[in-house]
Amino acid sequence: MTRQYVRMTLNERVQHLTLFINFTILVITGFALKYPEAFWASPITDVPRGMVFRGLLHRLSGVAIIALGGYHLFYLLLTERGRGILWDMIPKWKDGGDLWETLKNNLFLSRPAKAIQMGRFNFREKFEYLGLIWGTIVMTVTGLILWFKTEWLMFFPLWTFDVAQAIHFYEAILATLTILVWHFYSVLFNPDVYPMNWAWITGMMTEHEMSLEHGLELERLKAEKGREPTEFREAAVPGRGRAYPVHPQEKRKTFSIRRVYDTVRDLNRRIRDWKGGP
Amino acid sequence: MRGKIGATLGKVVAFLLFIGWAGGVWGADPSLCLSCHQDEALAKLDASGRQFSLYVPEAEYKRSVHGKLSCSDCHQGIRDDAHAAGGNPMRDRVNCGVCHEKADQEYQQSFHAQTIMKGTEKAAHCYDCHGKHAIYARTDPQSMVYPANIARTCNQCHSDKEFVRQHALGMGPPPGELFEGSVHAKSGEVTCTSCHGSHDLRSQIDPKSMIFRSNIPQTCGSCHPDITEQFMESIHGVLAARGRSDSPTCTTCHGIHGIKTRVDPDSPVSERRIAMTTCPQCHAAERISEEYGITRVQVKTYYDSFHGLSYRGGNTYSANCASCHGVHDIRSSSDPLSMIHRDNLQKTCGACHPGASENFARGKIHVVASIKGEEFGEKVVGWVRVVYLVLIVTVVGGMTFFNFMDWLRKTIERKPS
Repeated sequence: MTRQYVRMTLNERVQHLTLFINFTILVITGFALKYPEAFWASPITDVPRGMVFRGLLHRLSGVAIIALGGYHLFYLLLTERGRGILWDMIPKWKDGGDLWETLKNNLFLSRPAKAIQMGRFNFREKFEYLGLIWGTIVMTVTGLILWFKTEWLMFFPLWTFDVAQAIHFYEAILATLTILVWHFYSVLFNPDVYPMNWAWITGMMTEHEMSLEHGLELERLKAEKGREPTEFREAAVPGRGRAYPVHPQEKRKTFSIRRVYDTVRDLNRRIRDWKGGP
Repeated sequence: MRGKIGATLGKVVAFLLFIGWAGGVWGADPSLCLSCHQDEALAKLDASGRQFSLYVPEAEYKRSVHGKLSCSDCHQGIRDDAHAAGGNPMRDRVNCGVCHEKADQEYQQSFHAQTIMKGTEKAAHCYDCHGKHAIYARTDPQSMVYPANIARTCNQCHSDKEFVRQHALGMGPPPGELFEGSVHAKSGEVTCTSCHGSHDLRSQIDPKSMIFRSNIPQTCGSCHPDITEQFMESIHGVLAARGRSDSPTCTTCHGIHGIKTRVDPDSPVSERRIAMTTCPQCHAAERISEEYGITRVQVKTYYDSFHGLSYRGGNTYSANCASCHGVHDIRSSSDPLSMIHRDNLQKTCGACHPGASENFARGKIHVVASIKGEEFGEKVVGWVRVVYLVLIVTVVGGMTFFNFMDWLRKTIERKPS
C-alpha cells in the first residue's frame, strides 16, 4: 500500500492539457514562420497554402490560450480550491531560502545534502507559474497587435508594430526554452520523478514524491483531521516500481504488456468511478 | 524611282545579252545539265576533302519558286563545255543578289556575311537557310523559311553541339532547345527571326542589332508595345536608355530564349521566384549595390519581415517585391507616380490591407533593427533585441546550470556503492 495524494483535479488536468496542446501548436506554427527553410517546417511549407493554414492555426490556438487564461482567472477567483491555489502561489521569503539551500546542496556545499521541506508549491513551480502568467500576457498583447494591425496602426506609429513583432519573437524563444529546460526537467528528467511525474494524467502524487518536493504540505495534510489520504491498491498504481533499484540489485523488471494493460485498466476504472471533485 | 527602274532595265538587258551569249553553248534548257546531275551518286570532293553531292532533285526543283528558271540563270560561273567534261570547276558561288538585290544588300551587312568575309565557311549563306534547288515561297509550309520551320532551319547549326563549341556560343543547352519550352514557341507566332532579324541578323555587340542591349525593349515592344512604353519610363528603362549596362532590360528578368508565362513556376518572374532570385540577382549583388547606392539591406530586411518570411515559406498571397514596387513601371520613391511615393503608399498598402489608414502607410518599411539605427523605431527594436538576448542567455543559461547541478547531485547520491 502506498499513499496517493491529489495533486491535480480533473478540471486542472484538462486545463493543463489544453495549454499543452495549444502551446505546442503555437510553438510549431510560430517558429515555422520565422524559420521557413527548416527541415521540421517542411510539413507546413511543402503543402499548398500551408503558410496560410499555419497562420490560421496559430491564431486559433492563440485564441484558445487567451480563452483558457480567462477561464483560469475565474477558476482562481470563484472556486474554493482556486482561491487556495492563488494563496499558496504567492512567493514568500522562504522560497528564496529554499532556492539558496537547494543551490548549496547542488553545489555540494552542504554535505550530506539537506532535505528541504517545501510547501504546496515550491520555488520551482512558483517561478514557472509566474513566468507563464507573464508570458501569456506579453504574448497576448503583442499577438493581438500583430493580428489587428490595421486597427492598431490607426493610432500608433509603425515602429510600435515592429517592436511588438520583436517582443513576440523573443518572448516565444524564452517561453519555449523555459518549458524545455525548466518544466521538462521538473516533470521528466528530475531523478526524483524520472521517467515522468504522472500527476498531469492521474492527478495523483505518491507519498514519496510529496515528501521530496512538498514536505511541508505533506505534513499539513497529514495533520489535517477528517481528511484521510486516499489509498490505492499497490498493483493498480500507475508507474509502479518507479523507485531506484535497491542494492544489491534485484532482477530488473522488464517491460511487459501486462503492466501497460494494468495502467490503462486503472485509468479506465478511475474515469468510470469518478463522481466529481477530487 | 528612276534609279530603280534603271537598275531593273539594266538587269533585264544584261540577262538577255547573257542568254544570247550562252545560248550557243548549251542553251537555257536544264535537261542537258540534268542528264548528268540527276544521278544521285554524282559527287566530288571539296577543298577540305569531304564528299560533296552534285545531285539535283529535278522534281523538287520544278516545284520550287525558281522552277521556271534555267540552271545557268543562277549558275552564271559555268560557261563552257569544259564543265561537262568535268574539267572546269564552279568558280564562283551562285550570286542570289543578281535578282534579290535588297536582300543581298541587307545580308552583306549581317553578322553571317561579315563572318564569311573574315574567312569562315561555317556561317550561313543564302542557301543554308533558303535551300538550294528546292526553294519555296515563305508562305509555303514546305519552305525552310516558313515561320513554323525557321527554328528548325536555324537549329541546323545553332543546335549542333560541335558548331556551338567551335564558335564559343556557350556551354548551356542550345538556344533551340531552350526556345522549344518557351511561351513564344507555344504561341507559334514568334520564331528566331522575330527577335534576331533575318537577312540583317547582327551580332549582339553591334549597336544596330535588334538584340543589342538598349534595343531589346524596342524589339520586344514590336509585339508588346504597352509594356515597353511603361518600361521606358521606369527607373530601369531610363537608366538602360542611358547606356547603363547594369540596368535590367526585358531579358534580365524574363529570360532569353526560354521565356515562360508568369504562371509557370519555372519562369523567373513567377510568384515563387521573383523575390527569391529575380530581383535579388541585382539588388542583393555587392557590385551593383556599391555603384548605385542601393544597399543589399532591402532584400535582407524583406526576407526578415513578415511578408518575406511567409513568402519564403511558400505563401504567394504574401507581398513580394512587385506587390509594392510594381512590375514594368518601377519608379524611384521620389517620383510622384511611384507606387511607393509618400502620397501613394496608403493606396499601395490598402491593396492588400483594406482599411489601411494614412498612419498605416507612414513609417519605415525596410527596417534594420539596431541600437545604432537611423530611426527611433529601429533603435527601440534594437534595444528590445539586446535586452531579450541578455535575458534569454541569463535566464535559460541559469536554469540549465541549476538543473544540471541538481541532476548531478541527485545522480551521485544514487550511485550504487
